[in-house]
Amino acid sequence: MKPPTDVKWRGGPAALLLLLLLGFFPLRPRGADVGNCLMCHKYPGLSRVTEEGVLRLCYVNEDLFNSSVHSKVSCQGCHTDIDQIPHNPAKKVDCLIECHIVEPTSEKKFSHEHAARFLSQSVHSKYDEDGKLKKYAEDYPECKDCHDNPLWRPMSFDKAQHAGVSEKAMGRCRVCHQSDDFIIRYYNHVTTRLHKIRNPKNIAEACGRCHNDPAMVARHNLRTQAGLSYNDSFHGKAASFLNERIPDCLDCHVRKGESVHQMLSHENPRAITHSDNKIQTCATTDCHSNASVKLATFDVHAEFKVGQSPGQFYFTAFFIFLTGCVLLPLMGIIFLDLLRRLFPNLVLRRRS
Amino acid sequence: MASHYKIKIKNGEKYFHRFSLDQRIQHIILAVTVILLVLTGMPLRFHDAPWANFFYALFGGIERAPVVHRVAGSILLLLFVYHLFYLANQIIKKDLRPMKQRGELTVRNVVLLLLTQPLVPNLKDVRDIRDLLKYLLFLTSERPRGAKWTWKEKFDYWAPFWGMLIIGTSGLILWNMGLSARLFTGETINYALIAHSDEALLAALFLFIWHWYNVHFSMSVFPMGTAFINGYLSEELMIEEHYEHYVEVMTECGYRSEIKPPHGHHSDTEVMQGEAM
Repeated sequence: MKPPTDVKWRGGPAALLLLLLLGFFPLRPRGADVGNCLMCHKYPGLSRVTEEGVLRLCYVNEDLFNSSVHSKVSCQGCHTDIDQIPHNPAKKVDCLIECHIVEPTSEKKFSHEHAARFLSQSVHSKYDEDGKLKKYAEDYPECKDCHDNPLWRPMSFDKAQHAGVSEKAMGRCRVCHQSDDFIIRYYNHVTTRLHKIRNPKNIAEACGRCHNDPAMVARHNLRTQAGLSYNDSFHGKAASFLNERIPDCLDCHVRKGESVHQMLSHENPRAITHSDNKIQTCATTDCHSNASVKLATFDVHAEFKVGQSPGQFYFTAFFIFLTGCVLLPLMGIIFLDLLRRLFPNLVLRRRS
Repeated sequence: MASHYKIKIKNGEKYFHRFSLDQRIQHIILAVTVILLVLTGMPLRFHDAPWANFFYALFGGIERAPVVHRVAGSILLLLFVYHLFYLANQIIKKDLRPMKQRGELTVRNVVLLLLTQPLVPNLKDVRDIRDLLKYLLFLTSERPRGAKWTWKEKFDYWAPFWGMLIIGTSGLILWNMGLSARLFTGETINYALIAHSDEALLAALFLFIWHWYNVHFSMSVFPMGTAFINGYLSEELMIEEHYEHYVEVMTECGYRSEIKPPHGHHSDTEVMQGEAM
């Protein structure tokens, strides 16, 4: 949900009138919309132009929102500064605030601060080991650079595995639990977390927002435009056909069992991408279970650049050269043959 | 018997034998597997192209298309192995055994024999290419008088031969990366991927542009050549592409008096008329 931010509200009286008019119509109760925000934000045309001239859509699709992982968080749970309708320009959402949901294992209010702590220890932290701000700190990601409000992706495990809620499993849940709302939410949460919330293609696209940017790659002295070189790898090609089982960025760059926010530099000996540890990733039972240490020397992020992979660059160049040398003369002959057949009797020969 | 075998007359037209049943079956298997391999391989190479998903979906998407690709590749490799045996058997039966019986089986003679096999490129091919270019550039009115196998057919034969070695070997490396990395290095897989993909593209373009033009889309054969199905080539096409061989076969089969002149064999008057155009 995009919060309205830095514009002055000029349509206050009109909105108030609209509010009063709408107040006459009975509204369906909303899951998390205790503030009745959807009264206005449910309209697809609701939008504004910021002072920078950017069109912002303020529409919230209720069905989509109710299918998202934040469906039980009220609007005010994130947009804490909004306490009246119509409201003033909202501040940016802080993902680290405590929301009203209680985390059942600790019985404390839920917050994403654990993720932020992991992030601060990772290669994506804005701060170096001494706590100083890194060069180009503004390039390092914040929560919303990688995350949006993802939808539940429930899975059904019965005779076969497929997407969606299993009615049979629901039946088993109802033996003990009375509230369908609770059962579905719990089911969604657990089965969504048993696999990934985004498919490999989407994950590569998310990482590519920064890692495909040539300027950013150059500023941080990175070896590759990682999203693009991933796309050209076998993994990336399969991901482009929406294969869910193919490894994505997180599979290879995060140690199993650790938070994805704990991504470390490949120079860090603790990193799973460190040359000494790579093979642990490749040789998992789900991937190349029979892999030897040498498989880790496979260059997943090879690019057609002489500076990055000279051997592969010249090897590829050879095939391009070969293709040109073979096809161009042959296509020339085809063209001449077609031309010749138009003038079968013509000969450019001097008379003797 | 030989004349019936080499020339077949149907409705008064002569047809010249080109390919045996065995060769035609090999060619059909080659053609079908290559088309399958292209259809299931190119969507991977051009995975970002809008048509890639469509072609992949035709073969069951990412779950099944790779299986089709591997099955077709395996059949093609088996065919390649069979062809090597077929070739060896032909040479042994027709050349080496008689040579042995004559007591002439020496290394030098075997090397010479291999170098003079019908499909091995030779100086005549170089001359034919030169003459073809002269013809295509309007410098002469006569096409080169091709032998039984012209340089085009030799190119068509050896290009897949080379391609099979490159694409087949790299395909096997990519099939089981774990095992490959045990035998070689991880970087070998990078090179195998480049070789497999780029050589396959070259092979596909070569076949679909050059080969198909010569055997199907050229104005002489359009809309489709049929020699790969029935094994026989029409007299017209024999004269155009294999005139030297045509004369040999006609003479051998007792039709010397019926030999037609080569295409483009114009008198001086015709040439002058051509110039006037």
